[in-house]
Amino acid sequence: MSRHDLGHPALPEERRHDVRRAVRLEVVSLGYLLTCVAVVAATMGNSQAMKAAWIEDLLSLIPPTAFLIAVRVARKPPDPEHPYGHHRSVATGHLVAAVALLTMGLYLLYDNVTKLVTAEHPSIGTVQLFGLTFWQGWLMVAAMVYTGVGPVILGRLKLPLAERLHDKVLHADADMNKADWMTAGGAVLGVLGIGLGLWWADAVAALAISVSVLRDGWRNVRHAVDALVDARAHTVDDTEPHPLNEAARQRLSELDWVREVGIRVRDQGHVFHLEGFVVPHQGQVTVAQLEGAAHLLEELDWKVHDVVVTVVSELPEGKVFVTRGDDRS
Amino acid sequence: MRGLPLLVALVCLLAGCGLSIPSDPDSSLERIRSTGELRVGVSPHPPFTDFPDGLDAPPTGTEVDLVTGFAEQQGARPVWTPGGEEHLVELMKSQQLDIIIGGLTSQTPYSTDVGVTRSYLTQDEPTSDGGTRSRSYVMAVTMGENALLTELERYLDRVQP
Repeated sequence: MSRHDLGHPALPEERRHDVRRAVRLEVVSLGYLLTCVAVVAATMGNSQAMKAAWIEDLLSLIPPTAFLIAVRVARKPPDPEHPYGHHRSVATGHLVAAVALLTMGLYLLYDNVTKLVTAEHPSIGTVQLFGLTFWQGWLMVAAMVYTGVGPVILGRLKLPLAERLHDKVLHADADMNKADWMTAGGAVLGVLGIGLGLWWADAVAALAISVSVLRDGWRNVRHAVDALVDARAHTVDDTEPHPLNEAARQRLSELDWVREVGIRVRDQGHVFHLEGFVVPHQGQVTVAQLEGAAHLLEELDWKVHDVVVTVVSELPEGKVFVTRGDDRS
Repeated sequence: MRGLPLLVALVCLLAGCGLSIPSDPDSSLERIRSTGELRVGVSPHPPFTDFPDGLDAPPTGTEVDLVTGFAEQQGARPVWTPGGEEHLVELMKSQQLDIIIGGLTSQTPYSTDVGVTRSYLTQDEPTSDGGTRSRSYVMAVTMGENALLTELERYLDRVQP
């Protein structure tokens, strides 16, 4: 068993390479975030604004951790107790990462609405460093720039990997990175605003950002739960049904012995579980024909991992399949 | 980054208007310099603050001396208001005091209601159970009046190295 096959022995070499990169990227992310937690803790002093930034840094440790655990669990092969393998660890990790993101949005919203309602004027005094006395706000701005630069780069590196590996934990973590650099940028503006005597600047900047974080968090939670109730497979950003739904239907209906096709595809996490119900033209179908059909589907994409094709006299009532000309909404 | 143009605008605004960072939202430092009055709340706590000649006479103590020096530096004179800590904090929250002294430490429970300076003095003191414990002394400044806070901290750095 390879360490980077996602529990999928036939995983192409390029994808194994992507898994290795993603794991490295998340380990680097975790290390970097830990330095951010230390830097912010060292510069926050009595400032409530910096305390919020620190709590956000702690929350953003969750998605990379969820990813590393999910990838470890997913690579375990199927066993009698887990006949479908352990791919669902990705959906579980996605839910954990999504809840972390939503929590961060809710915390930002609560914290800053409270600040505005109670008209809390943040106190930021001076610090003494290397014999120099200067305004602590400058130190905070420097700390925020440091914690903001990393997520911009890391998030951009994660997105293409998330797409190629169909990894929604990685995708949610990229959303978390976006939330990180936006809050850091907001905090810079907020601290400079406080410096100018605008006590509300910090809270208003953070409130604007909380809206975006809440939206990302809510979207991720919804789609993570959707995946756990076996919604049809979607693209990694959950904007549209995955093209493999229609591709699989198309491929089977091209077979000359096939009259009607019903396909169901569910997202197991990284890989798809695909069921095909086939109505033949004549009553006679050979085992070779059925195995050939399943093989055709497996050749569509490495993600098509677990395929069952069965023959029926007519498509079963009460089941919903991918149908011709499926809408992409 | 989307915030960058805003940041540039902010810096230009700074340079153009000659504003200083940090500033007071309620202009405390400016008012102290223009009216010549530094409003100081004093809670008795010898040797930092004391009222040996009664509450109507001027206070004495190490912190009283420090604040008097700060007022002089700003071209002002201190106006003393005696009282218990909680009462003084209430006055400060309603903008009637600029500074509170009285042997406050960095552990003060009022740190969410008032701004506190960096400690100007840290010393080991005996505790009731015979051990020693380090205490860091601070002064309180109106929450968010960061120019006043910064100016006071710089002054304390200079006279209390």
